[in-house]
Amino acid sequence: MNCIIKMWLGICLCLIIGKHASAQSDSTSILIGHILYPPGDSARSTALQKLVSRGEPATFPFLAAINDKKIFLLDGQPVTTGLPQQAADGSEVFEVFLLYPKSVPVLNSDGIPKLLPVSSLEQISISRSDRLLMIPILPFLNLANPDPKKRIIAYGQLLNSADSSKISVLSGALNLEKDKEALTAGKEILFQLELEQAKSETVAKAYIDSLDSNWGENVTLILKNYATSGKLEGAKKYAAEKVTDLEGLQGRIQKAQNLFSGISLGSILILIALGLAIVYGLAGIINMAHGEFLMIGAYTTFCVQKLFIDILGIKSDLFFFVSLPVSFLIAGVFGLILEKLVIRHLYSRPLESLLATWGVSLIMVQLARSIFGDLTAVKAPSFLAGGYQVMPHLILPYNRLFIIGLTIIVVSLTYLMLYRSRLGIQIRAVTQNRSMSACLGVETRKVDAITFFLGSGLAGLAGCAMTLIGNVVPDMGQTYIVDSFLVVVTGGVGKIAGAILSGLGIGFLTKVLESFYEAVYGKVLILALIVIFLQFKPRGLFPDKGRIAED
Amino acid sequence: MKIIQARYWGMLMLALIAALSGCGGSGSSDKKAGEGETVKIGILHSLSGTMAISEVSLKDVVLMAVDEINAKGGVLGKKIEPVIVDPASDWDLFAEKAKELLLDKKVSAVFGCWTSVSRKSVLPVFEENNGLLFYPVQYEGEECSTSVIYTGATPNQQLIPAAEYMMSAEGGAYKKFYLLGTDYVFPRTANKILKAFLLSKGVPKENIVEEYTPFHHQDYQTIVSKIKQFAAGGKACVLSTINGDSNVPFYKEFANQGLSAATCPIMAFSVAEDELRATDTEFLVGHLAAWNYFQSSESAENKKFVEDFRAFCKKNNLPGGDKRVTDDPICWAYTGVYLWAKAAEKAGSFEVSKVRPALYGLEFDSPDGVVKMDTKNHHLAKPVMIGEIKPDGQFDIIWKSNGLVNPEPWSKLTSPDKDCDHVAHGGTYTVAKK
Amino acid sequence: MEKTKDLRFYLAFLVLFAVLLPLGNLTGLVSNNTISLWGRYFCFAIAALGVDLIWGYTGILSMCQAFFFCLGGYSVAMHIVMKGASANGTGIPDFMVWNQVNSLPFFWVPFQSFGLALILGLLIPAAFAFVFGYFIFRSRIKGVYMAIITQALALAMWLLFLRNETMLGGTNGLTDFKSLLGLSLSSPAVKLGLYLISLAGLCGAYFLSKKLVDSKFGKVLQAIRDSESRTSYTAYRVLDYKLAIFIAGALLAAFAGMLYAPQTGIITPGRMDVRASVEMVMWVALGGRGKLKGAVLGALVVNFLYSICTSLFPDSWLFILGFLFVITVLYFDKGFLGMIEKISGGIGKRKSSIKEVAEQQVV
Repeated sequence: MNCIIKMWLGICLCLIIGKHASAQSDSTSILIGHILYPPGDSARSTALQKLVSRGEPATFPFLAAINDKKIFLLDGQPVTTGLPQQAADGSEVFEVFLLYPKSVPVLNSDGIPKLLPVSSLEQISISRSDRLLMIPILPFLNLANPDPKKRIIAYGQLLNSADSSKISVLSGALNLEKDKEALTAGKEILFQLELEQAKSETVAKAYIDSLDSNWGENVTLILKNYATSGKLEGAKKYAAEKVTDLEGLQGRIQKAQNLFSGISLGSILILIALGLAIVYGLAGIINMAHGEFLMIGAYTTFCVQKLFIDILGIKSDLFFFVSLPVSFLIAGVFGLILEKLVIRHLYSRPLESLLATWGVSLIMVQLARSIFGDLTAVKAPSFLAGGYQVMPHLILPYNRLFIIGLTIIVVSLTYLMLYRSRLGIQIRAVTQNRSMSACLGVETRKVDAITFFLGSGLAGLAGCAMTLIGNVVPDMGQTYIVDSFLVVVTGGVGKIAGAILSGLGIGFLTKVLESFYEAVYGKVLILALIVIFLQFKPRGLFPDKGRIAED
Repeated sequence: MKIIQARYWGMLMLALIAALSGCGGSGSSDKKAGEGETVKIGILHSLSGTMAISEVSLKDVVLMAVDEINAKGGVLGKKIEPVIVDPASDWDLFAEKAKELLLDKKVSAVFGCWTSVSRKSVLPVFEENNGLLFYPVQYEGEECSTSVIYTGATPNQQLIPAAEYMMSAEGGAYKKFYLLGTDYVFPRTANKILKAFLLSKGVPKENIVEEYTPFHHQDYQTIVSKIKQFAAGGKACVLSTINGDSNVPFYKEFANQGLSAATCPIMAFSVAEDELRATDTEFLVGHLAAWNYFQSSESAENKKFVEDFRAFCKKNNLPGGDKRVTDDPICWAYTGVYLWAKAAEKAGSFEVSKVRPALYGLEFDSPDGVVKMDTKNHHLAKPVMIGEIKPDGQFDIIWKSNGLVNPEPWSKLTSPDKDCDHVAHGGTYTVAKK
Repeated sequence: MEKTKDLRFYLAFLVLFAVLLPLGNLTGLVSNNTISLWGRYFCFAIAALGVDLIWGYTGILSMCQAFFFCLGGYSVAMHIVMKGASANGTGIPDFMVWNQVNSLPFFWVPFQSFGLALILGLLIPAAFAFVFGYFIFRSRIKGVYMAIITQALALAMWLLFLRNETMLGGTNGLTDFKSLLGLSLSSPAVKLGLYLISLAGLCGAYFLSKKLVDSKFGKVLQAIRDSESRTSYTAYRVLDYKLAIFIAGALLAAFAGMLYAPQTGIITPGRMDVRASVEMVMWVALGGRGKLKGAVLGALVVNFLYSICTSLFPDSWLFILGFLFVITVLYFDKGFLGMIEKISGGIGKRKSSIKEVAEQQVV
């Protein structure tokens, strides 16, 4: 918190240099009083307008609080809340800051910052039209915002709209800037201003170079503008060259981004298709209700979250780790029930089982609809928010990385289970030749049940992961299910390697085609490609070897 | 064996005929609707399938209105008997169920439909059989059917005021507009009208961008980065007709890429309280929506309406119970039942040909204040409001129109030569050029 | 024995639907709604015959029949919409005007003529089935693989038809059908006429299919179903047979779709989503696959149940139908037809001859 206060001071100083402080503090407090307790209908707007036009730095914390809709009254004084903290009893409390005349934390009798829940403060609601009055000074308000994201927005707002008089303010703010991204965004604006001021070609070129090496969000836009409307011919040409370079670089980054989205989509498909492939390989059954097990996993996550927050009162990200195994188990148990009641009777008739499981999926979707009703969503754990910055402009969201990681773990575990355990040997034996394994003492029925449990559980796990990127709705299973069917078909029967390769392939192709065509046409093209692929490999990437394949 | 066979065939035939008459014959025994103890109305809202999420609430509120009217003694001394069917979000089934309600069940009026395609599907049925449909959802206009009472908004009662607000100093004086929608008829028509409006107000063509995504689209990365570029110079806003489950991913991506309501607000035309009640609203806070009704309306009538609806849901053990919220379509579905009852009282009959003229100019004290049926066409004059989304999924009403806004089924901007008048012209007619 | 039983079945069917129902309608006992409902069920039954030919007799599980059905439906709908548009004087369908399209797309032009619309309505699905079928059967995709590939095709086409750029009305599809060949589609007489045409179509399709499956060609199909490799070892060109029956199924579906659109008054992409195709297979499975009667029975019964259950049990019909599906598939592997036979067979046990047992093993 200390650094923020320092920052305030810094900015205030800068502004004071730029603008002489007026000795109107008395009337300023009157105006603030008018805003807090408006005596007339339009008094609040008038007072705000006056405060804004004065641009007194001391009022900025106050105005910023209004803009963020975080202005409260505490004992008749305007205050705002800082970062949330957890109280001893688990409830959420906030540090409280006094806003005017000085921005300081409110202390209790022991001299320690007071921690209060929001409910104990009286909120002042200020209408949007009044808040919009602050647009002219908005960037300056946010330059000192504790949230680096807000500061980045503030810098962005200064783009094109700032004039040379702001250079000192900007550099003052940048001196105190700690956040890397915000620093980049701020420097960009500063360099733009300097570039436009530049009188000689060498200076201009130097700034173009700095812009280039700073490599902010809007650098292409800035240089493009300069290349068309700049004053110095040589520098204009130089800027144009830089623009071509940058655009080439951005194209390559775009490609990397596509590669990543492809892998991420592919890992989702693999996660869903894995269970499907195992069950299909074992019993030759395509489980049309597989998507619904995904839905069950997602709703389980939702329920676990509710349980943690509403009943146990634990507000932490722990729930997500609990829900991973829980959703595996619950979906697995549902799968077991389905196997016992329906599939068991249909092992010799794969096409009928396809229809029966389709009927089951209808029932399950309607059941979810009548229990949960609406759109629901799981709040993703906070440590998965945001992304890992590989290089500027190439950000890999943590939630997607998490799913990729989860897929790798799940695939390896499944591999170990299938190829390094007794159960795996039995599953593979039944997959290859059911009657022979039965003769050799494998309890095929039991193996069937366990496999179905595992397959459904894997779908449940995928459902849990899916809550990180989308809504939880009753028909969420349908979104990816046809695609994962295709993964199984292209990969080959019951082959993990096949599922991985074709999952990645289809995911990657989808994203690549999507960047050229629209999503719909991409889908049609994928289908055509798969049909062509199957001309050469009719039994998928890794067909069964041996003589069991034909009827 | 022969005897068994004959008996079996006889049984089959009997069963089939009985079944057929069970479906078709019920109508013949109920011909005296209008003379008995009750009067039937149909409720044609999807209770299963993709649209159930939105439409179930409308069924609930219509039943609540029916309960209220029945508790006060019914209409013309008769209790209302609701006939509920489930068109299952299947557009063909909508037409089939409409036929059944009109021809077999002989209902006096039908309350139903949400999507534009379901309305288009039942429209010919109602026109052929002289039925009356109360349609409660905001729609694209360009329609003027004798058989439909449109209680939802026409484009000029939602789109135009919202665009005007965004252009005004009060709203933020935005200069650039990104028109984004789901690819179906409402967004397409809405954007056509909005574009015509913006152009007529002198917004240059290059400051308007139109874009559509398929239903259930989830990946908004590319579109948001386009919006970001578009908004780079400032003074830009998004007018969104994105529908249903695409909204949350869109707003999420919007926030993740660093855009916010302060820099580039989204004005939505299809985001209402009912859709927000269980979602994570974190990313939507501060953005705007235009409707004719918000649950947060301060009036006493509205507070009672909201309370009543919650009590009704709790009493009947409906999902959500007393946590249920009201929104614009819910308000107009409710109003529709009362309008019909009032018109029937005024006409002294349930006959469609008498109820329809009685509706013209009818006033009703709705949860939204007094609203008034148009004197010439089947639309409702009502107030327009703009709300700002709050963290609890409710709206802060930040702007309200001065009095009622009259409906314009044919937008003056895109179809200046057309108008809708059932009294003098029997529907859509061409306006003589001056 | 079988023959007389069959004859009685046909007779009862015809008396009920060709005589009793129309007479009832003319005398006002049966409502117009019932007539148009059954008219539509007959269309579904025709499509179900196609599914049974492909799946029940040849063992190819095609999950894109609803797409072919819609191709037929759209072509007639396009013709009706074109006629409506030229009657309005604009010459361009309403939805295009709303979408700011000012000239008629080229592929709409042939549909101005009714004859061409009919021909194209059959030709396009046939061509589609030929190309798609050729590649699929050539690479010997079968069984569950076939089901998935066709499902993906249905999905892709559905997404394509949903787009407004496709110029086929997008989600709203084609609607507002006024008249066909100058006859108003809203008059009861035309509705009865369409009902009778559908009935005639169903009877025609049934007897053609019956002829087909009883012929040598049909026997080869059943041989392919029972063992494709052995059939090919006996020098039959399996690919040709499969392709021919796939095209025949597509034609039946398209024909059904053509009759369906004018009776429903709307055709939308909702009719061709994956669910719609699976439903068609479901009718046949429930009616009794491998029996043409079963397909017809299944389509009629399931749709009839769907209609009445959505009215009688609006809140719980999905559970009822879902359980019915599962139970029928589980315990009555020969569908309703098998159920009826089991019940009547249970009374006079004489029928369980060796032949029956043999048949069971085959199916």
